[in-house]
Amino acid sequence: MKLPQPEKSSASVGLLIVLVVLALSITTVWFREGDAGPVHRARLGMLAVSAPVQAAGEVVTRPVRGFIAWSSDLGVSRSQLEALRSQNVELRRRVSTLEEARLENLRLKKLAGFTQASNTKTVGARVIGRPTNQWEGVITIDRGTDDGVAAGMPVVGAQGLLGQTVGVTKRAAKVRLITDPQSGVASMIQSTRAEGVVRGSIEGKLTMDFVSAETTVRAGDIVISSGMGGVYPKGLIVGEVTRVQSSPSALYQDIEVTPAGRLSGLEEVLVLVSIPATADVGGGE
Amino acid sequence: MRRILPTAAALFVATLLQAGLAPYLAIGGVVPNFMLLVVVTLALVEGPGAGATVGFTAGLIFELLGTGPVGPMILVLTLTGYIAGLMHEKMFAEGWLLPLTVLAIASLGAEVAYGLILNLLGAGGAFWVTFATKMLPGALYNIALALLIYPWLARFLRVDRPMTTFRRLA
Repeated sequence: MKLPQPEKSSASVGLLIVLVVLALSITTVWFREGDAGPVHRARLGMLAVSAPVQAAGEVVTRPVRGFIAWSSDLGVSRSQLEALRSQNVELRRRVSTLEEARLENLRLKKLAGFTQASNTKTVGARVIGRPTNQWEGVITIDRGTDDGVAAGMPVVGAQGLLGQTVGVTKRAAKVRLITDPQSGVASMIQSTRAEGVVRGSIEGKLTMDFVSAETTVRAGDIVISSGMGGVYPKGLIVGEVTRVQSSPSALYQDIEVTPAGRLSGLEEVLVLVSIPATADVGGGE
Repeated sequence: MRRILPTAAALFVATLLQAGLAPYLAIGGVVPNFMLLVVVTLALVEGPGAGATVGFTAGLIFELLGTGPVGPMILVLTLTGYIAGLMHEKMFAEGWLLPLTVLAIASLGAEVAYGLILNLLGAGGAFWVTFATKMLPGALYNIALALLIYPWLARFLRVDRPMTTFRRLA
């Protein structure tokens, strides 16, 4: 039996050291370079290449829910049964298509209503990719610089704020969801106007930090963007307070927030490409 | 590296799966890591040097696909590939128990190491919360996938020693 030749251990150790040093160097470069740096540009290149793959994955894995395998014994002849089966398949396919169109219509109507209410210029986009790893909350959309989308633009859904664009190519963009650990939204409690920052987390939960312990916050309060920082316009619905905890000695309260929209099953979104300077986009008082 | 073509093909397919399929296999936000499976399998077949090299490449691809810091997964997969590759010489039989044990340990180790590095970089969360919600479920998911993928991947990569069965011989 032919056994594989063992690698020379000293050579392997040398190679390992070189690769580890390279990895550490790349990490350093990543943190020190700007958005135009080589590693950031390489990531945009990867987005351009992988977007079609992600889009294909979205199409291929789209569940055809209308088709549920079923069997029946109706006591009819085999040929009749076959004819009914094929007719049933065809009808199910058509029902499924129509149902999909109906649901899409409903979603787009909601989005259109949102746009009219907020008086901002938007670009509609389809979600073509989901997070490729479990450590981040990022989706890919099918709009890019060719459609007027740029990095740092807010992205909303029918229910409210979803996130912002972070990497944009000609025909695709990455959207960092508000639940991503690197995400932060300057926000306020709608009823009391108490300001804070809504942050994402590894486990996908939202918390609102820096809300003074002297302010009254209750479960059920609506959280909206405050417009501070200039990334998100004022008044976008971020979510709803679900839990509040404060201790007498603490300066700030622990506030848990549920996102306004379900972020996992998104299909269409709107990118706010142009926001009037005085915009208060709907949710504020 | 003696067999660049099968290795490149395996990496290419893993990249396609990671970008196009893995997001839709997510269960409760836990996404499988196909790159890790390829790295460990190749390390077991080829040895530590090849394991580290493929780990570096796979880590780079993995992180370029995402939006987080670039570097931590490169480091983790490079080390994982190297350490798993040290077991290479013990993989003399066509058994599956030892490789899958190595895959399981490597998977958990890689997830924990990556989570810890993210923490150090300020992009992580509380350790036990992350362990319970991401690291452990992620490792278990990878192990479950490894049960399906490892035998075929190892057979594909191990071109000089054709595997005919996956029986445990030792």
